[in-house]
Amino acid sequence: MRAIRNLFNQIKNYPTAIVGLIIIAFMVVLSIYAVIKIPYREAVRLWKGGENVWIENPRNARPAWFNLFYKEKQPVTMVIKTAENPELKTVTDLGNGIAAQDIVFEFDYQYDGFPTELSLFFTTKFQTARPNVEIKWITPDGREIPMQSLTLRAQESYRISQDTRLPRRLNGAQPEKGLFADPENPDKVLKGTYRLVIGGLVFEPGSEIEASFVLYGKLHGFAGTDHVRRDIGVALLWGAPVALSVGLVVAVGTSLTTMCLAAFAVWFGGWIDWIIRRINEIVMILPLLPILIMIGLFYSRSIIVMMGVTALLGVFGGGILSYRSMFLQAKTSGYIEAARAYGASSFRIIFRYLIPKVIPVLIPGFVTQVPSYVFLEATLAVLGLGDKDLPTWGKLLNDAYTEGALLTGHFYWVLEPAVLLVLTGFGFAMVGFALDRIFNPRLRGL
Amino acid sequence: MSKTLLEVNNLKLYFRTSKGPVQAVDDVSFKLDRGKTLAVVGESGCGKTSLSKAILRLLPRNIMEYSGEVILDGEDIMKYGEDVFRREIRWKKIAMVPQAAMNSLNPVLKIVDQIIEPLLVHDRDLTKDKALERVKEMFRIVGLPEDFLYRYPFELSGGMRQRATIAMALVTNPELVILDEPSSALDLLTQANLMNVLKRIKHEFGTTFILITHDIGTASELADEIAVMYAGEMVEKCHAEYFYTDARHPYSRKLMSSVPTLREDKELVFIPGQPPSLISPPTGCRFAERCEQRFAKCSEHPPTVDLEHDQQVQCWLYTDGREAKKHA
Amino acid sequence: MLSIDTAQKRAVPTQRRTSGNLGRIAKYTFVRGSTILITVVIGVYLAILIANMGGYVDEMRIGQLKEQIALEMMNNEEVRLMTMQERKEYEANVLEVRKKQLGLDRHFIVRSFEYLWSGLTLDLGTADYLLSDSGSRWVRNILGERLAPTLLLMATGQLLLFFSAVFVALFLSRRYGSPLDKLVVAMAPTSAAPAWFYGIFLIMVFAAVLGWLPFGGMMDAPPPPSVWGKLLSVLKHLILPAGAIVISSIFLSSYYWRTFFLIYSSEDYVDMAKAKGLSDRAIERRYVLRPTLPTIVTSFAMTLIGLWTGAIVLETVFNWPGIGRLTQAAINMFDTPVIVGTTVIYAYLLGLTLFLLDIIYALVDPRVKLGGGGNGS
Repeated sequence: MRAIRNLFNQIKNYPTAIVGLIIIAFMVVLSIYAVIKIPYREAVRLWKGGENVWIENPRNARPAWFNLFYKEKQPVTMVIKTAENPELKTVTDLGNGIAAQDIVFEFDYQYDGFPTELSLFFTTKFQTARPNVEIKWITPDGREIPMQSLTLRAQESYRISQDTRLPRRLNGAQPEKGLFADPENPDKVLKGTYRLVIGGLVFEPGSEIEASFVLYGKLHGFAGTDHVRRDIGVALLWGAPVALSVGLVVAVGTSLTTMCLAAFAVWFGGWIDWIIRRINEIVMILPLLPILIMIGLFYSRSIIVMMGVTALLGVFGGGILSYRSMFLQAKTSGYIEAARAYGASSFRIIFRYLIPKVIPVLIPGFVTQVPSYVFLEATLAVLGLGDKDLPTWGKLLNDAYTEGALLTGHFYWVLEPAVLLVLTGFGFAMVGFALDRIFNPRLRGL
Repeated sequence: MSKTLLEVNNLKLYFRTSKGPVQAVDDVSFKLDRGKTLAVVGESGCGKTSLSKAILRLLPRNIMEYSGEVILDGEDIMKYGEDVFRREIRWKKIAMVPQAAMNSLNPVLKIVDQIIEPLLVHDRDLTKDKALERVKEMFRIVGLPEDFLYRYPFELSGGMRQRATIAMALVTNPELVILDEPSSALDLLTQANLMNVLKRIKHEFGTTFILITHDIGTASELADEIAVMYAGEMVEKCHAEYFYTDARHPYSRKLMSSVPTLREDKELVFIPGQPPSLISPPTGCRFAERCEQRFAKCSEHPPTVDLEHDQQVQCWLYTDGREAKKHA
Repeated sequence: MLSIDTAQKRAVPTQRRTSGNLGRIAKYTFVRGSTILITVVIGVYLAILIANMGGYVDEMRIGQLKEQIALEMMNNEEVRLMTMQERKEYEANVLEVRKKQLGLDRHFIVRSFEYLWSGLTLDLGTADYLLSDSGSRWVRNILGERLAPTLLLMATGQLLLFFSAVFVALFLSRRYGSPLDKLVVAMAPTSAAPAWFYGIFLIMVFAAVLGWLPFGGMMDAPPPPSVWGKLLSVLKHLILPAGAIVISSIFLSSYYWRTFFLIYSSEDYVDMAKAKGLSDRAIERRYVLRPTLPTIVTSFAMTLIGLWTGAIVLETVFNWPGIGRLTQAAINMFDTPVIVGTTVIYAYLLGLTLFLLDIIYALVDPRVKLGGGGNGS
């Protein structure tokens, strides 16, 4: 315990380490938040659920807070549902089982920009007689623009922006523009209170019409959306616990195993040592990424398999030689001889004497390795070999690359996961470096 | 050419450490005549090595104070700029054989390259052939076979490396050579050999030596004068023959009594206690704590006074009626 | 005295000196070269094993055979006269015979050696989907074509990185504690991100926003007519990817090597050199840089291994027509022969890199000759 407090005292001397620790703490908090707010199943559903899950998001929308930087304010997605706001619906009984269910979606539109899409989604309950709706649009300056009359099925989508008849009534303009345009100045938005009036008729008692009006903004959420309308924020959030666990588990696991192996190799010497050195040479030549690629393609892309193989190769890779030389030095020192003289078992010597000598190098070692594994996972994902189910930062980069985000100017799509990756990497690296300078006596003061 | 080759006045060298300033060389003054050998003796940590570094201006990064006069051949080399010092003094006038010569040779260069280096650096006109001749000559003098010139340091034994370092120190024929514990890491036979080599060089070339050692016995073979350092100060200096029979400072006396002699049956004496730390040395006489002859005045810092036979000593026991040695 | 001296001379064992530097290096080269070659063979074998655990290499091989047979059949007069049924039988028979000839019907272990040989010689038949620029489907040709651009990019980036890092490290070690020194030390963690990462940012800034440099590729399209123009075009395209390589490692490498220099500067022989009156430059070169070089070379080896690993994505990001991008394309199309081929090439490249570094190590450190562990650490 005192050693840890001592450690913290020393870390205070390294400002970069403090920054690093703050970043790591932030990531940990983010991960915990992600896992609690969006449990795994929910995350997978949100990420892979399919069209239905994402239907209320715009495509390729920029994050909502971008409006802070725009002079001309762009619309943010707005969703109004009768299911959530029952007061928007007025039911009037007309006798004989027929009822009028009128829905008025009223909203104040103050943005300078036009929305990207407009849609109306209906969910109805009925037995045989399908309800009817008549839809019209009322602008702030009192113009009434009739839209459609529909006979509704159980699920009905009216994509207003794709209505080919509307433009005729709007002087040829696309619906999402025309409905909001100032008639004097068709390129400018007419700001004010708009109303979408739905006059509905149900023909059976117990029939219900529920409607959702979605105004797809140019901006959405705190992270924007991707090309299939997914909220990037989900992947950003969930990327954190994935990155952290991958990085930490592999780094710690590999380091510990390497260290133990090196200790055994040095202590028992002879052919064990020889074998381990030969394996090390072979593993250094094996190109890690192509092998992971082959495994990903031919067998499994599960993140557990990938990390397992990485760990396996990592154990025999570069680090083992430096641990080995450290143990070699320690082995010939006096107190080891003394331990053997009093009859300590090999096990005891290794775990009680040899390994503690090496811990000061072990700790900065694995902290510094965490970023490489985090980026390795990202690399695999960028190449398209990421885990199929998990939403990770690398996967975001991969999607962005395949959709040519840089070419189409959707920089946020690339920047958001990139920044998070970099922060995580830097955070651990900064702490690792400071730890190295604290623990390594030759580096002290350098 | 004046008799006095080196005159050191009030030399100070302090280091800055996390625990406070270390006063490694504290106001040291002495004179050394041409062609003579001065042996500087003292315990570990008394500042002997720092003295040699101070003379050659080999300062570490954490230097705190470096002042005084070092007058070589009539000129105060402390006043020289870095570049002039490097070109004119280092190795040309003053050379050094450091402690643990094993490590003072560059492991990736051949011996011949390292020895010939100072020749080529300090004398532009010297042709490579002539320089090589001189190097071979040096090797002959220190008694090393010529083909070892073309080897790497790790191929030589400790004693051979020591000799190679001495050859390297002499190759430019400097006026003053400082040897720091030249034989402490060597076996007895090699030690004897080394002393013989040094004697021969002294005889043939008239080089002035400063021999830093804690081994008084070996020093006696070579030394004309002996200086004793204690806690960063030079507490006594006198001619060798007087030192062994008539040392003045209590510390020197104790040192002599702790050295076994061949012909007498001597009761060996040891000095109790420890030398003071160089970080905050006591204000009075630094040896007072361990001195049997201390008295009240010793709580003040004693001046250095001159005695007969060119002897100087820093002790209250000898100051009566004498003037404190004038420090420039 | 004389007798002791001569005694010592006689005591020195007459060492039989190997014929100087050249002999030493030649012998070392041979030993290390063979070791690395064996390691590469084993590595490729492992790769083949992995690939074939799902039977993919088997498929590949059989597919190769089938193509060969089909080609022969087309040129065979008799076969052309056969009916469909007869042709099928003929094909099946010949296939069986060939398989036996090549030992493909025998136990897996035996087969694997055959595959190992074809893997090592890159005799991997035809690609499933990809084509080389000259239209060939031979995997060997495809790989061969892409090798040169990768070597160009990697060599440029790595050489630039090495020399800039050494220069910066030396510079910093002279100015220990200065603001610049502290800055580089603080920026060392930036090397946690791989090269392709910085590549993305570089593209964003210099290509998308500023438009000064191209987005990717190796040459302008259409290529300039003159040789000089072509050369300049390649150089222009080389700037960003090579820059990414340099940025991704320079702070870390400079930090490490500057630290080594500082540590090695406190060696006794450096003090000695100063005492001898050598200039600071000379000391730096011969007494700090040269002894540290073996350590630096080893640490550079580690950096290089990381670079090769990241090369695949780097080339993809920059659309650089090298082995890396080929790998990514092959992944996308699940083109097995090409994938196995690129893995083998990477093994060779890694082996070659380590081999070269080992040789440089031997050249630079005289202690290696006497077998004082010239093994890198």
